[in-house]
Parts: sequence; structure tokens; C-alpha cells
Amino acid sequence: MYNLLLALCHWLQNTPLVLWLYGSNWAYPPVQATHFTGLSLWIGTNVALDLRLLGLGKGRQTIAELSDALFILNWAGFAIAILGGFLLFSVSATGYVANPAFRIKLGILLPVALLLHIVNQRKARVWSQAAETPVLAKVAGLAELLLWLSVAIAAVSIPFV
Amino acid sequence: MLFAAFNWLEHNSWIVAIDSTAVESAVLLIVHYFGFFLLVGSIAVVNLRLLGVGVPGETAGRLGKQIFSTMWTGLVLSLLSGFILFAGSATQYYNNQVFYLKVLIVLLAIVCTVIIQWNVSSWDRLPAVPVWAKWLAFVSIALWIGAILIGVEIPGLTGVG
Repeated sequence: MYNLLLALCHWLQNTPLVLWLYGSNWAYPPVQATHFTGLSLWIGTNVALDLRLLGLGKGRQTIAELSDALFILNWAGFAIAILGGFLLFSVSATGYVANPAFRIKLGILLPVALLLHIVNQRKARVWSQAAETPVLAKVAGLAELLLWLSVAIAAVSIPFV
Repeated sequence: MLFAAFNWLEHNSWIVAIDSTAVESAVLLIVHYFGFFLLVGSIAVVNLRLLGVGVPGETAGRLGKQIFSTMWTGLVLSLLSGFILFAGSATQYYNNQVFYLKVLIVLLAIVCTVIIQWNVSSWDRLPAVPVWAKWLAFVSIALWIGAILIGVEIPGLTGVG
């Protein structure tokens, strides 16, 4: 299984587009900036919702109102981040799949954080109906916030491990 | 004069202590990235709403009231960590024109952001968002994306960072 994954990564990083990206002095930074721009939208809107779940600005908007208002830009940010991230990954795919921090980031932290985020978005309407934010909502908001922070820690650790 | 100040900063005992351990440098990087994502993601949501992107029923002013606190938290985190990261190699940035350009872009982006925050509630009360406000929102987004792009270009173009 791992050998198949390695073969796929090897093929990916030798495709003409990826080879051009690797060899170009100018193409790589814009791809990195694309990934970071997408992450800004994704993380910024996620954390805004998480902080609302924790009670920040509860007099202004309900959890559902904020979740609905951010929904489109939230997932647009995710799509941009994935596009940029995939291109960054493809340049050194075989190196990334062997990297422990990358494996933890993509194999464990990202799926768990993503799943919890989807649950939080889907539960926003139910949690908004209560007079006080339910404890479960606050725990879910804090957990998601910490999970995204963990994803960032794993990402920054990639070059060091 | 400026070089002497940079040199003093780089050899300040606090900066040397922080810069000498890999863990503290990694923590600074995580705070810098995460803070910047919060900052840019939050302001982008308000700017894009001013430009007509997002949920039609939600005004930019209402969104801003909810997420400006997230934005300022991000700004403080990214500026503080960014300053310490800069201080650790201050003399290497002395002749780095790309770095000065980044600082200029970030300062202009902050000015745009402050003007938007001051005025966004009053724009809510108008029948339509003024054209100059839309231009300001567009310039603000362009400057923040420019800050990301130039931030990732600095190591490639100058070998510092």
C-alpha cells in the first residue's frame, strides 16, 4: 500500500506542470501565497465561529446567523487552501509522505478538525435556539480552535522533523 | 543610526534567548502564521461583503462588529511575533529592500483596515455602499494578499528569513 502511494507521489512530482513549478524561481512563491490566502479565509472564518461558540459577541449575532454569513467564504477559503496545498505537496510528494509531521497533519489532525467543523456548522441552528449557549457547543468550539492550532503546529514542524 | 539600532536589537539578551532555541523559534512562527491568518481572514470577510460577496441579508457593518475583535487579536499576535522574528536577524534585514516594501505594504493595509472599521457602520445606513468604500475594500484585499506574497518572496529573493 505504502509502495503504491510512493509510486503515485513519484509520478505526480514528475508530471510536466509540477516539474515546471519546481524549476521556476517565480511560480513557487505565488502558489505558497495562494495556499496562505486560502488558509487565511478558512482559519479566520473558522476561528470567528469558534469564538462565537465560546460566547464572544453573543449579544450581536446568533451562532446560526454568523455561521450562515461566513459559510460561502469559509468553504471558498478551504477550496483555495486545498488547491495551493496540493500544488505545494506535489513538488516534493515523496518527501512529504515520509515526513512524520506531515503524516500527523494530513492523516489525523486535519480530518478530525474538518469533521468537527462540519458538525459545528450543522449544529449551529440547534445551538442558537437555546437561551444560553449549551456547554457542548462551547466544548466543541474550544476543541475545534485547538485542533486548528494543532494543524498549524504540525505544518510548521514539517521542515524540522 | 538605524543599523546601530538593528544591531542593538539583535544582540538584546531577551531576543538572543528567544532566538537561540528551536522550540521558541517554532512557537513564534506558529503564532505569526496563525495570527496573520486570523487577521487577513477576518478583514477579507468584511471587505468582500463590501464588494457584494457573501450572504445578501448580512451587512458588512454587522459582520464587522462580530469579527473585528478576532481581527485585532490576529493583528497583535502577528505583529508581536513578527517583530521578534525580525529582531533575531535585524542586521540582515538592514539592506533588504524587499523587507522594507513588506513593512510599507502592511502599514498601508492597516491604514485601510482602520478607515474601513471606522466607517463600515455608517455605510450600513446608506442605500448602497459608496463607490470609494468599494475601492478601499478592494485595495485593502490587494494589499493584504500583497503582504502574503511579498512575505513568501523575501527568502527566495534575498536569502533572509
